[in-house]
Formats: sequence, structure tokens, C-alpha cells
Amino acid sequence: MFGTLFIKECRQVLKSLVYYIYVVIFVLFITSQMSSEDKLQEPKPGQSYYGETVIRDDALTMEGTLANLLQAVCRNSFATYPIGFYREVKLTDDEMVQVKAVLERCTGKSFEILEEEMEEYYAQSGIGDTSYRVAVKEGFTYAEFEAAMEEVCDLVGKGSFYEKESYENRIHVPMTYEQAKEEFDALCTKDRLTRAYMRLFCDYAGIVLSVLPIFIGVSRALRDKRAKVQQVIFSKSASGTQIIVSRYLANLVMISIPVFLTALLLQQPFYYRAQTMGIQGDIWAFITVPGIWLLPEIMTVLAVSFLITEFTDTIWTIFLQVAWAFTSLFSATTLVGDFGLKLVARWNTLGKTLLYSSLEKEFLFNRGYYILLAVVCVILTVFVYEKKRRGGESVHEKLRKFSN
Amino acid sequence: MEMSIEIRDLTKNYGKKQALSKVDLTISQGMFGLLGPNGAGKTTLMKILTTLLKKTEGEVTICGVPIEKNRQIRDMTGYLPQDFSMYGNMSVYEALDYLAVLSGMPKSERKSKVPEMLEKVNLLEKQKIKVKSMSGGMIRRLGIAQAIIHDPKVIIVDEPTAGLDPEERVRFRNLLCEIAKDRIVLLSTHIVGDIEATCENIAVLNQGKICFNGKVTELLSMVEGKVYSAEIAAMELEKVKEKYMVTGILVTGSTANIKVIADEQPFSQARQVQPDVEDAYMYLMHKENKG
Repeated sequence: MFGTLFIKECRQVLKSLVYYIYVVIFVLFITSQMSSEDKLQEPKPGQSYYGETVIRDDALTMEGTLANLLQAVCRNSFATYPIGFYREVKLTDDEMVQVKAVLERCTGKSFEILEEEMEEYYAQSGIGDTSYRVAVKEGFTYAEFEAAMEEVCDLVGKGSFYEKESYENRIHVPMTYEQAKEEFDALCTKDRLTRAYMRLFCDYAGIVLSVLPIFIGVSRALRDKRAKVQQVIFSKSASGTQIIVSRYLANLVMISIPVFLTALLLQQPFYYRAQTMGIQGDIWAFITVPGIWLLPEIMTVLAVSFLITEFTDTIWTIFLQVAWAFTSLFSATTLVGDFGLKLVARWNTLGKTLLYSSLEKEFLFNRGYYILLAVVCVILTVFVYEKKRRGGESVHEKLRKFSN
Repeated sequence: MEMSIEIRDLTKNYGKKQALSKVDLTISQGMFGLLGPNGAGKTTLMKILTTLLKKTEGEVTICGVPIEKNRQIRDMTGYLPQDFSMYGNMSVYEALDYLAVLSGMPKSERKSKVPEMLEKVNLLEKQKIKVKSMSGGMIRRLGIAQAIIHDPKVIIVDEPTAGLDPEERVRFRNLLCEIAKDRIVLLSTHIVGDIEATCENIAVLNQGKICFNGKVTELLSMVEGKVYSAEIAAMELEKVKEKYMVTGILVTGSTANIKVIADEQPFSQARQVQPDVEDAYMYLMHKENKG
């Protein structure tokens, strides 16, 4: 029964207008974002610039962050991104006294001296100099620095540069030839070009896929109610698990097909480009990379939309999930990495293979978490469906009765 | 296996509101009519029998199987809900096939059963049209086809003729009688004519309680000798309505032909007539509501 139901559900998806709108938006978005620009140049010795790389260096991190803090205190203007959007925070006089005390504790100098030194530095430096640093006092440890920045965060609020995830990822230094060569070699050998390109594809696709499947899920979950078929389907012998899981998997497969097909088509030029460079591209990258990167996201977005719609019998989940997607997108401190437990995993660059390798565990944990979340949501949807089937009411029905 | 539905002391509460109160009923093979005004609890009873609602108290068994065994009950029952519909973008064939899959029928069986059922409900020639283009009568016929396709022992039909034109209504009643030959068909309605034309055994439900359970002839005997017909002046109509239970009025100009239920001859020109089920039902309801 399950296989037949699955195929019938797939056919239903193919008859849905929402599905075709999804396909059109997805394909247009991806093709407009994915550039065919060739950024793949093997680094040559003697180049003036090889790009930049993020480094983890406690001393540089402390000095750079304190310099940033000093400038913000001088202007009493603290940049924050609480839900991804810029918000300027201005502190009160009392709060300013506290932040200045933090600066003084970290540097061992009075605020006035720090301000004077900064003015002197900028008076001598050229326009556009971003290398200003504030040294910490002798014996000041990184743990003390972390505690001090937590105090600043308490005053400034969420989403500032003084959060650990932010300041530890902000130290960029120019790459040397050796570093650039090592990075390029990793791109060619570990990523075989194609996988790196697919990661970039996943970055863009992940943005739209955090939103578009919501509409397909809501449309399917509300179709029974709209078509007035709930009662007759409830009375049939098929179990809630068979009904919900077949619907869920059919929608998951139908959403994924355009994703993998687009990935396959867009991968082709890079596959041949790799061959011309003497690299054997990974022909299956269009499945393996989006499979790990995007499938957990689609699974979660669809499962949550099924669950909330089945629970409420309304379209409320659209607003909730769009807000979730936007929060996930804008709360990232960087467009490359910072996976944490964010729904949308960002990798807005072609390459940085070594950085990806160092973050792979964090990334896999993130994706595993979302697979688990999706499975839990599907199980809960089956539970809610069975509850409704035995005379339970959705939240919407309860509210309607209450308001009457 | 016994072919009956046994309902004992069935009670259903929605919060503080009691929808069914201590209902006792035995329904045997053939057509059984459940009559009652809107809000009497008929749909609640139907939903309990089809496992769509949980009972509050009491015992219900269908062909010996307790109602709590959802899966078994769903296997042996077919349900046509009051507002049956299907996905508008499916064809008649696809819709029936889809519901047959949900009833657990394998492909080989569906291949022969779906056309057979469509033929039975006279929809075989319309099998390719979309559900959204079907008339109300056609949708009800599709509804009955899905209710019987898995050959259930019990068919539960809720208000099946509401909204149908007279011709469709008669055709639908005949169809129900035909399929009731070797199974239990429980027909719930507030349209007395449906019961009169199809059922031998009936129960009347009012305010969640069974106020009559027996044969149609027994219901009729309650009002035997109490139905009168008379021609009166139209002007007197209001006065008569205040004093007697009037079950039929036909006004022609300044006169009105009326049908009255009364224990004794209401006025000299009134003559006794043969009662029908509607008269008996009205009499019963009047008595019940009077308390």
C-alpha cells in the first residue's frame, strides 16, 4: 500500500500549481546567482595579492577587538545585528563608564591615554588603514579577555562584534604564495573542483530552500480540509503513518528532483573545466554535496510545515518559518562557515577547501541535527493526525469555538 | 460471525454538553433508518461507529468487534459522510482508486473492482471526468462506490440525499436498497421520505436520546386514527394551527386543505385519513418536545 500511495502522492504534486511556481522560482533564482565567471587561477610566485585568510590568533584577536571597541566607545556608536539587520546601539553615561572600565582593565591604560594614542596613530597613518590594534596589558590572558567581552555584550546587547563567534572569525590576514598554493592544491585534489562548485550552488540553493518548501508543505497539509475529504480519509483503514509518511516522502522527492537536476546541469561546465586542467572531477558531486547540504534543510522545512499546518489547520506556519529562515540567514557572522545550529548553512565562496575541512565536523553535526529534527517532526505529525482522526480538534477549531 | 451492531448505554459528551445519552440500539442486517431533527446527535453516533469520535461511556460492537479496535472496524465499515467530496483535480477513476488504496486493496483487486463499482453506481462512462466537474448526485454516487468498494459488512450513510433533486434522490435510495441485501446499511437522515421508502426498521433520535426504536409499522400505529383532513377557510388557518398539530397545508384561494393530528375528531367536517411516516414522526416529536 505504501508504495502505491507514494506514487499517487507524487502524481498529486505534479498536478499542483504551487509545485510549478516553486520550480520556476528555484530555477530562476539559482541560474541568476550562479556566475559562470572563472575565478580559478593557479597562484603564481610574485603576485602582489593572493587573497585573504582568516586566522585564529589570540593576541591578534584581542588587539583587533579592543581597537574596534575603542573606536565604538569614542563615537558611542555600537553596531549590532540582533536578527541579522543592522541596529546602532548608544549607551547611557553609566554604561559608558562601565565599558571604559573594561577597556582600561584589558589594556592597563586610562581611556584618555588610549584615545590620545589612537588619534596619534590615525594622524600618521594613510587613509584606509585598517590595521590599527590596541595592545593588552602584560599578563592579560585570553580567558580574562573573553570574560571582559561578555560584560560588553551584556551592555550592548545581542549580535555585536564582541560575541565570541564574531571576534574569533574576524581576523583576516593576506595569504602568502605558499598558503595560496596549498589552498589551490586542496581545491584541485580534495574538492576536485566540482565539489567546491557544488558547495557554492548549495549556498545559494539553501537560501531559497529555507522558504519555498513551506508553501508546498502547507498546500499538501491543507488540501484535505479544502477538498472536504478529511472525514472519508480518516474512516479508511490506512494508518496515519502510511498516509503522512507517503505524503511527506512524495513531497520531499518532488522538491528534491529540480534541485538535483539543476545541480547536475550547472555542474557540467565545471566538470569539463576540471578535465581541461587535468583534474578528474567528481561526477557524482551534484548528488553527494546537495544530498548532505540541502536535503536535511528541505526535510526540516517540509516536516515543520506539515506538523504546524496539521496541528493548526491554518497557514500560520508560513509566517513562523519565513521568520525562522530570515533569522537563520541574517544571524550568521560570516557567509563562509559559522554553521552552529543554523538552518541555512552558508558557503558563499568557491573553494576555501582547507577551511571547510577544518569545519566539516561542525557542519555534519549541524546537518545531523536537522535530519533528526525532521524525523521527530514527521513522527509528531503522525501523532497529531491520528489524534484528529479520533475526534481531536486542531488549534484553529478550538480557537474558533472559543471565539464563538 | 453475528451480523449486527450492538450499542449499549452509549454516551458522548462535548465538554459539558451531552450529545448522546445512554443510547441502546441493536441494528441487524438490511436497511436501518436513523431519523431525527438537526442537532439530535445522529452525526455524532455515525462518527462513533466509524471510529472518528471516541465515546465517553458505554459499549459498542460491530459484528462482535469492539469499537476500540479501530483498524478492524475500519476494515469492516464503509462510510459516506454528509459532505463527501474528493480532490477536484482527480478523475472519477483516480479518486475511487485512491480511496481503494487507502482501504488496503491490492492493485490486482482494484483493477477489477474499481470499474465494477463505477458500473454499479452508473459512473463508468464518466470515469475520466474531473471530480470538480461532477454534479451533487454524481458525487454522492462516487461516495457510495468508495464506501462499498472494499466489500464492508456495514455501510454508514449520513444524510445522503440532502441537496439532491427528486430524480437523483429516488435513484440513490434504490441504490442503497440494492447494496443492503447482504449487509447492514445504516441510513441517517432528517428527511422522512428517505426512511419511508427504504427502511423497515428505524430509530428516532431526539436531543441525544432514542425516543423510538422499532418497525415503521409500529411507528405508524402510534398515530393510527389520529390523522384528519379537512377543508377550512384560509382565514381560520392561524386559529387551527394554534389549537392543533397541523402537518400539511395546501392553500387554494380563500380555502385551505389541511392535515391535522388530533386524539379526537377536531371539527365536524374533518375526516379521518391514512397516516404516513411523516405524520407519525411529527406526532412523536411533538409528544417528545412537550415532555
